[in-house]
Amino acid sequence: MRLREFGGFAASALIAGAVLWSFVTTDVELSRLMSAGPRIAGFLGRMFPPDPTVMAEIMKGSAETLRIAILGSLGATVLSIPLGILASETMVSRAVFRPIRMLLAFIRAIPLILVAMLMVGAVGLGPLPGIIAIAFHATGMLAKFYAEAIDGVSRAPIAALESAGAGPLVRLRHAIWPQMAPVVARDTIFRFELNLRESLILGIVGAGGIGFYIQTYVRSFQYDKAASVTIAVVLMVIAIEGINVALRRRFA
Amino acid sequence: MSIAAQIDDLSFAHLGTDLPALDRVSLFVPAGESVALLGPSGAGKTTLLALLDGRLQGWAGRVSVLGAPLDPDHPPPRARRPDTGFVFQEFALVERSTVLRNVLNGRLGRMSPLRALLGSPTAHDLGIARTALADCGIADLAERRVDSLSGGQRQRVAIARCLAQEPRLILADEPVSNLDPARAGEILALLTAAARARGATAMFSSHQPDLARRFAQRIIGIRGGRIVFDVPTSELNEDATADLYRDPKPMPGIGLRAVS
Ligand SMILES: Nc1ncnc2c1ncn2[C@@H]1O[C@H](COP(=O)(O)OP(=O)(O)O)[C@@H](O)[C@H]1O
Ligand SMILES: [Mg+2]
Repeated sequence: MRLREFGGFAASALIAGAVLWSFVTTDVELSRLMSAGPRIAGFLGRMFPPDPTVMAEIMKGSAETLRIAILGSLGATVLSIPLGILASETMVSRAVFRPIRMLLAFIRAIPLILVAMLMVGAVGLGPLPGIIAIAFHATGMLAKFYAEAIDGVSRAPIAALESAGAGPLVRLRHAIWPQMAPVVARDTIFRFELNLRESLILGIVGAGGIGFYIQTYVRSFQYDKAASVTIAVVLMVIAIEGINVALRRRFA
Repeated sequence: MSIAAQIDDLSFAHLGTDLPALDRVSLFVPAGESVALLGPSGAGKTTLLALLDGRLQGWAGRVSVLGAPLDPDHPPPRARRPDTGFVFQEFALVERSTVLRNVLNGRLGRMSPLRALLGSPTAHDLGIARTALADCGIADLAERRVDSLSGGQRQRVAIARCLAQEPRLILADEPVSNLDPARAGEILALLTAAARARGATAMFSSHQPDLARRFAQRIIGIRGGRIVFDVPTSELNEDATADLYRDPKPMPGIGLRAVS
């Protein structure tokens, strides 16, 4: 009992300490906090009315974002097929799928925006670093999904084809693939939707797409233009969500 | 006379079990015979058939199938696997593929590796698959997906896939246990006729003595992993059959509840 009470007290103290420490080490002073509300209101005021003359930039940026998402998803799919096979216990031994799964978990742990910044450093500004970043980042999830799809199929037909003399890849093609195809389609579309959503902001770090214009207009105090681009992004996210709901209904 | 299967003093326990599923089994099956394995549930019928299919390792004794010995430590080479065809009790079909695709899956071990991978059968492969479909009475179902079929139709697809493999030894695990008696008779009739027409040996397991008697030349009774009798069908003894299905002997540790 004593021990439990002490544990509870220690946890409370730790949380309180962490909160206080956060206040002390940043510049969240009371005066700034008080004035933040009106300043945000003022900022929003300067966004109105949104400037509709940036339509051409919005179209150009959206098209580039879409291309980044499509090519990034294609790259992720191509990488995820072999990695998914190597991460499945049905196809390979523990000595192979264990390290591959660890690699995929490591890839998933790296935030996309960080990968994008590194790729901008490596290959320069533009859509290319965005495509590479999306392909890399999405592979961490997609290859795991593919491996789970392989391991989720019924084993009996695999054994039957082995009994008929089919090798591992032939079994993958004729016993596993027909069973996993709908799962792969669903997962790939799901990941494409995430890629599209995430690639909207890649431009902020210079990795191409519509995010570039938000960054440009905010930096140059053209808040009314930034507002138009932001509205366009929100509308696109809603549209993607709508398409996703429709697709879910079809696959259900 | 060539030999379809020969087993000498074979014992086998499944991984993680102590009681042997097969206990000092010896068996000799000449080529061309049709043999029924008769026995209650858990007798070891599936285990014995899977062993002959080369799917089990870690047994003691000697086994040879179609003239070549099996290795207790390694599965048989892939080139030999199509020679034994297996009809699985639960069909083991690819549900989302068509009937024809499933039957062509039986050809995969006979095709060149590239054709197998691409799933592009030759005219010869297609001809054999079509013949198997016709022999099983399901030529008109070729383009249907398996998940739209009834149990009896699936059983026919499973047999057609096995026949497409052109096996010299056909091993059928309870091929009629899921069917009503009329259907069961039809299926066993087509299975044994197809085997005979192809000069193949047929072994099927069953727990129904009347079906074994109608469709096998020889009946092997199996219980508790041991062969209890092994006789030509004409000599099958009613008492021996009944004995196969009697209640298990009271064993130490069982029946304690009756005491209290
Ligand atoms: N994969 C397995 N793992 C462990 N025990 C098994 C396995 N398969 C079968 N057995 C056991 O082996 C014995 C024989 O089973 P089986 O060959 O399936 O009998 P039958 O086909 O005659 O019903 C049974 O006691 C069963 O419980
Ligand atoms: Mg069985």
